[in-house]
Amino acid sequence: MTLNTGMQVNRIDDYLWEIPPSEKAGMLVPARIYASPAILGAMDRGVFDQVTNVACLPGIHRYALCMPDGHWGYGFPIGGVAAFDPEDGIISPGGVGYDINCGMRLIRTDLTLAEVQPKLELLMTELFRRVPAGVGSRGFVNVNRREFREVMRKGAAWCVAKGYGWEEDLERIEERGCLDGAAPAHVTDYAIERGINQLGTLGSGNHYLEVQVVSEKRIFDRGTAAAMGLTGRDQIVVMVHCGSRGFGHQVASDYLKIFEKAMRRYGISVKDQQLACAPFRSPEGQDYFGAMNCAANTAFANRQVITHQIREAFAAVFDSTPHALGMQLIYDVTHNIAKVERYGDGEWLVHRKGATRAFGPGSAELPDCYRAIGQPVICGGSMETGSYLLVGTNRAMHDTFGSTMHGSGRTMSRAQAKRTVRGEQLLRDMKQHGILVKAVSMSGLAEEAGLAYKNISEVVNTVDQAGITKKVAELKPIGNIKG
Amino acid sequence: MPGTFRFLDEIAVADMAFEAEGDSLPALFDAATQALIQSLADPATVTQTWRQTIDMEESDIDTLLFEWLNRLVYLKDAQAVVFHHATLAVRAMPDHSAWHLQAELVGAPVDQTTQDLRSDVKGVTKHLYAVTQTGTGWKARVVLDV
Repeated sequence: MTLNTGMQVNRIDDYLWEIPPSEKAGMLVPARIYASPAILGAMDRGVFDQVTNVACLPGIHRYALCMPDGHWGYGFPIGGVAAFDPEDGIISPGGVGYDINCGMRLIRTDLTLAEVQPKLELLMTELFRRVPAGVGSRGFVNVNRREFREVMRKGAAWCVAKGYGWEEDLERIEERGCLDGAAPAHVTDYAIERGINQLGTLGSGNHYLEVQVVSEKRIFDRGTAAAMGLTGRDQIVVMVHCGSRGFGHQVASDYLKIFEKAMRRYGISVKDQQLACAPFRSPEGQDYFGAMNCAANTAFANRQVITHQIREAFAAVFDSTPHALGMQLIYDVTHNIAKVERYGDGEWLVHRKGATRAFGPGSAELPDCYRAIGQPVICGGSMETGSYLLVGTNRAMHDTFGSTMHGSGRTMSRAQAKRTVRGEQLLRDMKQHGILVKAVSMSGLAEEAGLAYKNISEVVNTVDQAGITKKVAELKPIGNIKG
Repeated sequence: MPGTFRFLDEIAVADMAFEAEGDSLPALFDAATQALIQSLADPATVTQTWRQTIDMEESDIDTLLFEWLNRLVYLKDAQAVVFHHATLAVRAMPDHSAWHLQAELVGAPVDQTTQDLRSDVKGVTKHLYAVTQTGTGWKARVVLDV
């Protein structure tokens, strides 16, 4: 079929579409898009242009992929996945995203909706007080430069050693919350100065902390849910979406400038300036990889400190302890990263930008508690509609470099959302629908209204039907904190 | 004449974009600065208790505007401030080898209780970034990552 992209898009099956290399000069591999026919038809043109630009990058392997929550991004589309030969392929900040290791974390509790509802106002106020959000917010963890470099090297483990978390948390974080190869020497002073005061802060934009409920009727796979500690029975869980804040953005910006010059030296040309890249094995490529790992580890630490604050808030409000409340971490996944991963046909540098790792059952990288069921995948929806917990599959290992979607994806611009709905009215409407919101910025709240996003259920059903992840449970919001 | 700016709707669905115009380079820089300042917080709610003088030099005007706007984003995070206004001077070096910006940036530490805070802009991007000379002056298109 020919969409309004001017490109031939071939149907592979009901949920997978392919643009052949003949459709754009320079494409080295086909581009593949996971989407239902309805989602494909509604995708913005930028996705088609950008995913085919990615297919032109040196060293790309098999396909340039885009997930069903895909939309226009900087360089790669959001939802973009691509694997490169680590020996003669490239690394690109545009394939990781500015917010390095932006990711999702889900924490369970033994509490029920009936127990939380009477104290919800108090709980949200306490969470809002303990987890800073919004422009210029600073975290409660004060570190000097030496300690911040330790955070860059050790990630979540640094937090656990300082008492901000439990040892058992680490096995339930992708890569145990610490990527090897972090090189603080390759991080600029600008990045350090932007990040050093932001540990334990949410940020703004689409980042949030959400108290959610899992009801029995919204559990799709009871056995897998039970293995993750979800029993249904209107159980309360807490979801966190945030990343490396200004620190990661500065790392990305610093290296985009370096790569623009490096590309000339290495004779690389790209279709879009935001795809600036360098050979992975080049000094510039390795320096970026080292700095990117620093930002990734800082993001793991950020979410770990926030988890500590969430546990403390619940303990204070329910006059208990986090252990007694059953506040185990279910999982923490990154959706903006580049990592060397091993698949059947070798080792590849996998870029995921607005896409989540989704390793299937049996993967050696998974902790014992999840090896039989596959990796938990946390997908955040809009604050009005809810989110999903899924699980990785072996089909993803074969078809998508162990990757899947990350969220619902926007369909409306921030400016249009603000014109369509006012933050104060949205706050009142959501309260009427049983969702209590604490927000720093009313205009920022309006930008994140549910109407600005795709229907997450349709996106989730696409990856479920495509077999690259399976639905476990739907999570409905009852409280939300936004910057 | 003071410069003007307007936010652009459909350029960056998940982020923000604006177009600034001025009949001179200082007017263009002033308008683009205002657009960024207003993206972060309503300047009418920001007091004038923090000041910083900034000197920057770049080889071309595109890079000078790009780096200047990114400097504001850096200061927002590094010093936890938002801005009321900036007074700017932009000029070519006498030998035309570079462009120079001198600015006094005025604002206040972030205060969620008194300021109307807006988007926590993370950076200025090169996506569709352009500074162009028009028949009547200068125009810039800027996409902000939020």
